[in-house]
Amino acid sequence: MNLLPLKTQKIRAELFSLGKKYVIMIFNANIISRKEGDGLLKRSFKGGVHPLSRTHEGKYLTRNKASQPFSPEYVCIPMNLHLGAPSEPCVSKGDTVKLGQVIATPVGFLGLPIHATCSGEVVDISEKQQLGPKKVMCITIKNDGLDTREDCLPDIGTCATAAPKDIVERIKQAGICGMGGAAFPLHVKLMIQDEKHADTIILNGAECETHLTSDFRTMLESPEDIVNGLVAIMRAMDSENGIIAIEDNKPEAIAAMKKAVEGHKDIEVVALKTKYPQGSEKQLITVTTGREVPRGKLPIDCGVIVTNVATAAAVKAAIEDGLPLTHRITTVTGRVKNPCNLYVPIGTVVKDMIEFAGGYEGRIAKLVAGGMMTGPAAPNDDFSVTKAMGGIVALNAKEAISYEEKPCIRCARCASVCPMGLNPARIKQYCDANDMAGAKENNVMDCIVCGCCSFTCPANRFLTAAFKNMKDRITLASRLGGKK
Amino acid sequence: MSDFSLNVSTAPHVRTNDSTTSIMRNVLIALVPALLAGVYFFGFRSLIVVGVCVVSSVLFEYLFELILKRPVTIGDLSAAVTGMLLGLTLPVTAPWWMCVIGSGVAILLAKQLFGGIGDNFLNPALTARAVLLASWPVRMSGAAFVNPNLLGSVDSVSTATPLAYGAKLQAGGASILDLFLGNIPGTIGEVCKAAILLGFVYLLITHVISWHVPVIIVVTTGLCTWLFSGGGIETPLVAVLQGGILFGAVFMATDYSTCPMTALGQVIFAAGIGILTAVIRCFAGYPEGVTYAILFMNIVTPLLDKYIKPRIYGEPAKKKGGDSVA
Repeated sequence: MNLLPLKTQKIRAELFSLGKKYVIMIFNANIISRKEGDGLLKRSFKGGVHPLSRTHEGKYLTRNKASQPFSPEYVCIPMNLHLGAPSEPCVSKGDTVKLGQVIATPVGFLGLPIHATCSGEVVDISEKQQLGPKKVMCITIKNDGLDTREDCLPDIGTCATAAPKDIVERIKQAGICGMGGAAFPLHVKLMIQDEKHADTIILNGAECETHLTSDFRTMLESPEDIVNGLVAIMRAMDSENGIIAIEDNKPEAIAAMKKAVEGHKDIEVVALKTKYPQGSEKQLITVTTGREVPRGKLPIDCGVIVTNVATAAAVKAAIEDGLPLTHRITTVTGRVKNPCNLYVPIGTVVKDMIEFAGGYEGRIAKLVAGGMMTGPAAPNDDFSVTKAMGGIVALNAKEAISYEEKPCIRCARCASVCPMGLNPARIKQYCDANDMAGAKENNVMDCIVCGCCSFTCPANRFLTAAFKNMKDRITLASRLGGKK
Repeated sequence: MSDFSLNVSTAPHVRTNDSTTSIMRNVLIALVPALLAGVYFFGFRSLIVVGVCVVSSVLFEYLFELILKRPVTIGDLSAAVTGMLLGLTLPVTAPWWMCVIGSGVAILLAKQLFGGIGDNFLNPALTARAVLLASWPVRMSGAAFVNPNLLGSVDSVSTATPLAYGAKLQAGGASILDLFLGNIPGTIGEVCKAAILLGFVYLLITHVISWHVPVIIVVTTGLCTWLFSGGGIETPLVAVLQGGILFGAVFMATDYSTCPMTALGQVIFAAGIGILTAVIRCFAGYPEGVTYAILFMNIVTPLLDKYIKPRIYGEPAKKKGGDSVA
């Protein structure tokens, strides 16, 4: 090698350092890219997609519609409003109930009480088909329209003064679960074991799903409630920092929240780049704090608790006003005559909401409970609003396309958009081959079922659906295996 | 209640507008400038060569799938792309039967026998070209190439003496501008670098490919050829403008089925092609190394995909044995 002329050696050395720099540039730029713009720090993560980017994520239909109250004739409250075992009804047919009265008691560790969401007579307690695969016990209440209130929960002080223990207990009493989608009981998140400490609480106001504007309206209409709820959660957890993270397609919400946090030095409002899935728990933690949730662990393992902005507002109402979680804002949009944001009792039947929104516009072909990326498609419109349902989107035949799965062309787009760094195409091969061990080896369990891979696949492969199925099967198998 | 019937497919309910067909159509569009340049320099016979390749490729795919009672996939245009790529890598003097045999090798041997689109591990068009090159070397190189200047179809540049188009493609008679515009002997599609770059830009704009693989190939080939040749080639630019490296880098190496899926894998793949091309050009008997370099790296692709895995979110950094999925 020394035989090479000096000039060539020099060039080689230069090339080497250049190449090194280049490789580092490609691979390091990926993790978190922060861009300065509009005076805001816009944050993003590796991967992700931008669905419906040409139509403002479908949100323009309802973003300027203030939430309006809607009181249906009947509410049908399913017992599985939250993740975990369904609650046990403690009223019987014919009983008269008041708004906020406990009508079902919690079952199990993840259980939550369920409250009547309107006053009136219990007319039916029976199993009904909701969105899940199995029928679920539902309590139907005929609304008398008076909203006679059950006595408020006892006074425990304000968000700034209540004792931390009381706060967690009150969150449980009020039946508060995550209102962003997963419906995980909040008090369980806050019951931290061992020596773990959550130094940061993140409120998720990203609302990265398409069409939905319920969190956006909550942030615009009750920013103080959200901040107070956050203060309460921070005090309960003895946390130092609070972060409210909002996608930059909601500048009004960012402004409103910034105004509301004035005077709270430990709370920061963070603008995120508009990109799906910014609102995914893990991605949100990474873009706001730079930390990563260790594989197979919970956010608390990196010192963070994440919850939705609407949940924080519910916490405030529970503590200061003594009100359980009985209502929420939900978006009714898509092919309905008057797309709107409705403030409805939990358990309102979707059919009634659609009627209130002027009915369907033409013939519809699909009804999605939630946003387009993760919302399940409903078989009909006879199901109830849950605590975690941010909206309902009606699609016509043109929008509800049935896709035919074609062979994978290995274009690697799925791998490039996967926010978890997986190779969906490869995992799908194992799923198609029914190979649970192979799928697990290729980290199918790390999949967050965000839908980016399916969204971007030019061969229209059902990647996300296959992974969800495979994850469920592996979980079931490990549970059955554990019992043996 | 159910006076309407609803579609209950799984989420996500919205997808990109891109499809296999649209991607292939974009590749075809990107190849049009190179084809037009070929027609300009070599006459209308180039259109016939490419046309025979495209038609026979599509026909082979159709018949194969018809006979084996598989779903017919000629609608995804991938067979047309293969045919067009093959046609553009042949000399204009290629007889029609060679085009047909090439298409047969590409579609039947390289693609369908391995499972069709997405499952082939070798680039079909390049496999066919390699087979033709080995079977009829005289018809595929050297004398088979026509000097556009001798056709009289281009403005009268004063290169009256026919150059010796021997084993080594020398830049001797042609200026950099000639090399760039395509005023040189070669295969139909590879000569006009300007047209290829136009196609490259189109593929970038339509997000069919990213710039990484072509650029890395071209840069490594240029630098390595320049270094290895020991002063035989004046600048890396000349090395890059010679032969089919640009065409191979833009249209052949970026074939989805046969290049790695990870970013790091693609970098290694591209650098490997560049280095191998330079090695074959400078140290081996073949005049053109791109074909074999790409095919060789195609074979390495499954290995690259097996051993290079991107870091998974939440994985402990630089530590092994993080397999414990709770």
